[in-house]
Amino acid sequence: MKVIQPRPNQLGIIGWFYAGNYKLERYLYILHRVTGLGILLFLVFHLTATTFFRIQGEEVWNAAMGFLSNPLFKAGEYLVAAAFAIHMLNGFRLILQELGFLMAKPVPPIYPFSDSLRKKRRWTMAFIGVIVLLCVIFFYDFIIGGW
Amino acid sequence: MKRYTYLWLWQLITGVLIAVLLGIHMVMQHLDKILPFFGVDLGDPTSWNSMIERSGQAIWAGVYVALLAVLLYHGLNGLRNVILELTTSPQTERAVTWTIVVTGILIFLWASYVPIALLYR
Repeated sequence: MKVIQPRPNQLGIIGWFYAGNYKLERYLYILHRVTGLGILLFLVFHLTATTFFRIQGEEVWNAAMGFLSNPLFKAGEYLVAAAFAIHMLNGFRLILQELGFLMAKPVPPIYPFSDSLRKKRRWTMAFIGVIVLLCVIFFYDFIIGGW
Repeated sequence: MKRYTYLWLWQLITGVLIAVLLGIHMVMQHLDKILPFFGVDLGDPTSWNSMIERSGQAIWAGVYVALLAVLLYHGLNGLRNVILELTTSPQTERAVTWTIVVTGILIFLWASYVPIALLYR
């Protein structure tokens, strides 16, 4: 008897980015992943700065802070602040939807197909609005702080 | 299978904790030019004096160590989930899991030493 090998149900690294026919929430998923990994990378640099330089006294600390006030680092810092806003609020939406809030009732898969996220997409849009607002507030703070 | 459900549950719980603890951190460090409008003036939070004054207080050391612990769990568990999408092999999965557990413990020991050492300086 011929044994049919099932096709491995994974796309590998392409599956990290390929969204296919999926909608808005799938792109938020990619953004969530990118911001999460970015923040984790930042954490390593941040911990290096706040341990090795902090323990060595005032002069080393001031030198490190002087070095980090470079506009390039400031821009990077803003990106991390924006990533934090995105990851936090999208994560909040994910927790609420995991627990069954902000979702329509599930319906049987009968034509015309409908998913339970689409009907409540205005909530997703509201979360995106708050994310944009937070990013603008952080941006304002960075601008008046002087690059 | 059951323990993975608990890992995910803790991912949600640590997520909420991070929103609170890192929220404090971000408002203090990055909205320091906006806070005066609300009558709170912290000065420059990255200056040596401001930093060392906070480091002497047990509550701040506690906040930093707690934030470090929940961030490491949340971040490294997330990283593990991302990496494990690439494989279905149990051996690779075990290797990845243990590498991440050991990395997390090492980073925690390294980085939690400084806030505790600065308390007694």
